[in-house]
Amino acid sequence: MARRTAVYATLLAALAAATVASLAFGAVQVPIGDVIDILFGGGGTATQQQIVETLRLPRTVEALVVGAALGIAGAILQGALGNPLASPDVIGVTGGAGFGAILIIILFPGSIALLPVGALFFGLLAAAMVFVFAWSGRNRGSTGKVILAGIAMLSLFTAGTTGLLAAYPERAPSAIFFIAGGLTSSGWEEIKTIWPYFAVGFLIALMLIRPLDRLALGDDVAASLGSRPQLIRLGAGVAAALLAAASAAIAGLLGFLGLVVPHVVRMAGGTSSHTFVVPASALGGAALLVAGDTLARTLRAPIEMPVGPFMVLLGVPLFLWLLRKAV
Amino acid sequence: MGPGGEQSRGGRPPKGLLEARGVEVEIAGTQILRGADLDLGDGELVAIVGPNGAGKSTLVRAVSGLQRPNAGNVRWSGRELSDMRGRDLARVRAFVPQRMPVPAGVTVREAVTIGRSSHLKPLSRLTGADREGVERAMERAGVARFAERSLTTLSGGELQRVQIGIGLAQEAPVLIADEPTSQLDLGATVGVAGLLRSLVGEGLAVLLVVHDLSLAAAIADRVVVVSEGRTVASGEATAVLSHERLAEVWGADARLTEHEGRTALHVAWVGP
Repeated sequence: MARRTAVYATLLAALAAATVASLAFGAVQVPIGDVIDILFGGGGTATQQQIVETLRLPRTVEALVVGAALGIAGAILQGALGNPLASPDVIGVTGGAGFGAILIIILFPGSIALLPVGALFFGLLAAAMVFVFAWSGRNRGSTGKVILAGIAMLSLFTAGTTGLLAAYPERAPSAIFFIAGGLTSSGWEEIKTIWPYFAVGFLIALMLIRPLDRLALGDDVAASLGSRPQLIRLGAGVAAALLAAASAAIAGLLGFLGLVVPHVVRMAGGTSSHTFVVPASALGGAALLVAGDTLARTLRAPIEMPVGPFMVLLGVPLFLWLLRKAV
Repeated sequence: MGPGGEQSRGGRPPKGLLEARGVEVEIAGTQILRGADLDLGDGELVAIVGPNGAGKSTLVRAVSGLQRPNAGNVRWSGRELSDMRGRDLARVRAFVPQRMPVPAGVTVREAVTIGRSSHLKPLSRLTGADREGVERAMERAGVARFAERSLTTLSGGELQRVQIGIGLAQEAPVLIADEPTSQLDLGATVGVAGLLRSLVGEGLAVLLVVHDLSLAAAIADRVVVVSEGRTVASGEATAVLSHERLAEVWGADARLTEHEGRTALHVAWVGP
């Protein structure tokens, strides 16, 4: 228990530090004291206020929400499918969202505002197709069927994406930022459109924490306690699809985060209890994405780099170090 | 305690908690149960025995609501199984699987607390009464002294006691266990058998699938024989597991004996 408290404390400290850094650093540096003053109303110059409130605050909030959403999506999928390789990629969401976004970028470059909608729609469509195939015929809803249907759907949509890029190579450069994954300073507009999907996803995930702990003791124990194992898996799949598709709509393809964060949290906390892993993955995902995004736009400011590669640079060494100790 | 003597299939149903008639189950095109009957009375320990593939596990899974029957009728205290929701079922019976998966880093107390969660509404927290229920279940199952240990560090016998503890935390009047001792050594088997018998002494009704016929004879008030998807006999062990029946159902030349609480199965292992 003490160990879990220590992990929570570390994650909260990292999240707070990353959030303040995200608001303070960038092409223009705002002193940390001023940042805090601006947030609590007043202080700073008018320019500083504008930078923090209209550019950095929405972007930081997006990073927090997307990071938490991907961390939770990975945690509940790994729990529901009982498979350490599970992540939003595995239920087809990432492949579908990528296709939807590239479709808008390449075929409707004039309506780039539709990009989040395209990513969300095709992300959810891909997940829905995975569930339809996995929940029909024999062994409905078995882990193996879900994962295999997901991989098939991922391949299908990735092929579609690659086909589009190959057919219109001159438009491919504008798609790279989305594929690599990254946030933009586009104000509150995106999150205003997308927030209901996050809200429903977070709510379902919250309701699933206890059922997932039952499922961890096996389908029979879960059934003994009155749960329906297949319904838990379906619920986890729907919540993860909503969270991951909404995340892709805002920040592109950051599937790595959903795979790795829950593992890091489990290894650090020494337990796979969802009561711990789900909230800790939310904190860890948010901290990692906010930190990665801050680095991505400060290291070579004013040039912004996609956050995806930076998160991988931050996350992989930590992951491998923990993995070495765990096995 | 249980009805003595041999009772034929479809005979007079004893008044009790569970009443299953003509249960049929088909899994992936194969007929596993072809009309099985099962009764369980208040505070009774019933052992279900039969050869491999006879349908013992499927029968207890069907009456527990873990496997949907294709035909037949199952009633818990008079209520139709098909009309009961998961939460209702969790209050009438606890199902203990043969061997549950063991999640990393989860302690005995946490696992038993999960067992208690059938009493909680979604998102509600544990009350003082729930925590007492968890402690009581751990005491009864004999796992309280290693409550803080992680499941991955337990022996087979200890883990089986934890599984029973999870079932007890449900506080249902019936505990159903599918071959709880089949992977345990002699000492651990004796421990689990004693635990189950003492739980019956406290008023719990227990339904067991057992492979070991001498163990079944020693702990059960009543033995039910399942063969080729049907219940073929029910009654006191020494009467039901006669030399003739052992030959007919198991195809073995064997005799069950009982003497001062010790049971033995004398088998002609390599033929006459």
